[in-house]
Amino acid sequence: MKNKNWVWLIIGAILVLLFPVFFTLPFPRHLMIMIFLYATMGLAWNLIGGYAGQISLGHAIFFGTGAYTSTLMLMKLGITPWLGMLVGGLLSMGIAFVIGYPCFKLAGHYFAIATIAIGEIAMVLMINWDWAGSAVGLTLPILEEGLWNFEFHTTKAPYYYIAFGIMVFALFVTYGVDRSKLGFYFKAIKGDLEGARSLGINTHRYKFYALALSAFLTSICGSFYAQYVLFIDPDSTFPLLLSIILCLVATLGGVGTILGPVIGAAILIPISEFTRIYLGGGGKGTDLILYGFLIMIISIYQPFGVIGIAKRLRKRESR
Amino acid sequence: MACLEVRGLVKDFGGLRANDHIDLRVDEGEIVGLIGPNGAGKTTLFNCIAGFYPPSAGAVQFKGEEITGLPSNETCLRGIARTFQLVRVFKDLTVLDNVMIGAFNRTQSAAEARRKAMEVLDFCGLMSKKGMLAGGLTIADKKRLEVAKAFATGPSLLMLDEAMAGLNQTETAEAVDLVKKIRKSGVTVLLVEHVMEVVMPISNRVVVLDYGRKIAEDTPEKVINNEEVIKAYLGDKYHASRRAH
Amino acid sequence: MLTTEIIIQTIVSGILMGCIYALVAVGLCLIWGLMEIVNFAHGDYLMMAMFTSFWAYTLAGIDPLLSLPLCLALLFAIGWFTYYIIIKKLLRATFLAQILATFGLGVFVRYLAQYMWSPDFRTIKEPLLAGNIGIGGIFVGTPQLVASIICVVAFVFLYVLMNKTELGFAILATSEDREAASLMGIDSHKMFALGWGVGCGCLGVAGAMMANFFYIFPEVGFNFGLIAYVAVALGGFGSVPGSFLAGIIIGVVEFLSGLIIAPAFKYAFVFLIYLLVVFIKPMGLFGRY
Repeated sequence: MKNKNWVWLIIGAILVLLFPVFFTLPFPRHLMIMIFLYATMGLAWNLIGGYAGQISLGHAIFFGTGAYTSTLMLMKLGITPWLGMLVGGLLSMGIAFVIGYPCFKLAGHYFAIATIAIGEIAMVLMINWDWAGSAVGLTLPILEEGLWNFEFHTTKAPYYYIAFGIMVFALFVTYGVDRSKLGFYFKAIKGDLEGARSLGINTHRYKFYALALSAFLTSICGSFYAQYVLFIDPDSTFPLLLSIILCLVATLGGVGTILGPVIGAAILIPISEFTRIYLGGGGKGTDLILYGFLIMIISIYQPFGVIGIAKRLRKRESR
Repeated sequence: MACLEVRGLVKDFGGLRANDHIDLRVDEGEIVGLIGPNGAGKTTLFNCIAGFYPPSAGAVQFKGEEITGLPSNETCLRGIARTFQLVRVFKDLTVLDNVMIGAFNRTQSAAEARRKAMEVLDFCGLMSKKGMLAGGLTIADKKRLEVAKAFATGPSLLMLDEAMAGLNQTETAEAVDLVKKIRKSGVTVLLVEHVMEVVMPISNRVVVLDYGRKIAEDTPEKVINNEEVIKAYLGDKYHASRRAH
Repeated sequence: MLTTEIIIQTIVSGILMGCIYALVAVGLCLIWGLMEIVNFAHGDYLMMAMFTSFWAYTLAGIDPLLSLPLCLALLFAIGWFTYYIIIKKLLRATFLAQILATFGLGVFVRYLAQYMWSPDFRTIKEPLLAGNIGIGGIFVGTPQLVASIICVVAFVFLYVLMNKTELGFAILATSEDREAASLMGIDSHKMFALGWGVGCGCLGVAGAMMANFFYIFPEVGFNFGLIAYVAVALGGFGSVPGSFLAGIIIGVVEFLSGLIIAPAFKYAFVFLIYLLVVFIKPMGLFGRY
């Protein structure tokens, strides 16, 4: 990256770090936390969907696994959510292996629908699993505030910084992948699968790497969400709509780019939060009307995302 | 020293026998040409050797090791690289990135892959285009890139599938030079070609397929005058009329 | 008590429901086979058909059986216009963009319906088709029986249309090779729009029939949509008869697993069957691609 870009990035990071100092009301902080969270999940999805080109529409399963694993470990075993987060991440990687092994043989539409099928099966299982709270869900115990307990009641600021930290971690992972053999091989798989194989790439193995990384990051977000909201149920952690939104975040910003999902989240989340507040009241899902409309408009008119548009503008300038 | 040995290779597609008990041997340092009319089974043979799909019967040995039925990424790791007739370049990536992907076959390090890729780009005459997107190249350059990325995988055997098809005179001459350079660098070459002016001058030996069977194998001069070969390409009528003269 | 009688009864019910799934799947398969776009709004369009029937009954007293032509025509038109207004722009888009766009369309339609008509469950109180019919000891609901018969008839009609008429050939030609077809004077856009019209027309028929006996509410389409994708993939993308057969299989699986295992898990079993088939025979049962 050029030096100029580094400077902008550092300025941006400083502004973000100072944000809670200037914005002390809960809502702006909540908004940013949601942006960080969805940006991270978008980045995670981007690894398998944007770089490796495998369109997964079932990523919510990893989010839910993370949320439920850390929560159940806390409620049933009293283990700190940080460890639960790690275990959830590893479990999600295991699930990625189990899913990937048969699914990666599938192409295009078949793969996408298989991921939907797996996601829906997971949803049904969770709704009927009494030990894990079934449809009613799990309410996390209110514990003494603190880092170890991963709960903060008087202020959102710690959540803010943790979420930001998670996103930065995801950015580092993406950056590392982008420049390494992994990233090149992912792009090759997306570009031409057979061509990639003929160059020595074990496509099954690398697809799994992409999915495993993606699963781990998404799972961490799930655990964070559980500690932030202190209530989880299948409908908020495993639904198809969530999987779709993750794709959308990455697509809006620009698939296969490092900052794309961050930009996508920065645009999409405020819109969705504001429409939820002003239109969504009464449980009628009115905000979802706008949501659906937005999804349509974005995918029809911005296929390369904001970054794609920016590139095109820059090209026109340099003529 | 045998680099590649194919024994009794058979490939059936349902009821169609595309390769019928083919024996083939390529020695280290050779350039072997594989020719034959359309549909003779040349690309099928390539695909069986490289591992695009497994043969129905027969054996393939590479540098003394049995590789029959191994998938393409495994054969590539062992040193067999191949190009495709319809080039499979990664069109949304730059020329450099394309070749780097090939170079990663022998290294984990991105810096090393980049270094090797630059070497290969220079070797293949693509250096000036390294930042271009592969999708925007001319056909000739695409074919050149196809060879470059296969070459970057560090093979002992390079199998070229009609790498010269559709090129004009100059482009063809340049491609031939490249093949010679590749052989000089120590890589054995097996090439499928239709363009006779290319195959004959550079091959040590030529193998001819027709309807899935090997019908001739000899030096280029002898193959040209082989009756079976002439019949295969030009049909019985021509052969008969030729004999009449 | 799982007697043979109950099992047979369940299987029959499954087949009847399956015929409806089948027609819905056929509509989806047509669109996919024609232009390789998977319509994620399919289930929600079915919901529109059901509501059309409902409002025709509630506001104008027209029985669902009689409003069948209305539903068919309306959904055909909606499908046609959906193509020209939205889908046409997606033809060159990435796979992901197509999925997201039609998914967004579905969400849009679904929650617009919920906004306009509330999430309440509606039924048609006194349809012409009501009651049960006993056939050899098995009791089937009259509306379900008639619905499945009509769906089969619709499918046969469609099959004849696609395979035996000039129009059908034109559509098939367009799906094989757009450019070649247009060189022969076939307007590919019109063919695609027609495909969408017919595909959604299937939903009109299925929806009108379902209104007779099913609950009508904005989110009803979602599950049917999912089942349709599973059916098309199970039958093999591109194979219309395959989708039909797969729809019936899914109906049977759903009802049987609801009976034998637990009603809560029946959809999970449908998806599980899909996964099993697709892992074992990746191209589906009759797939061409």
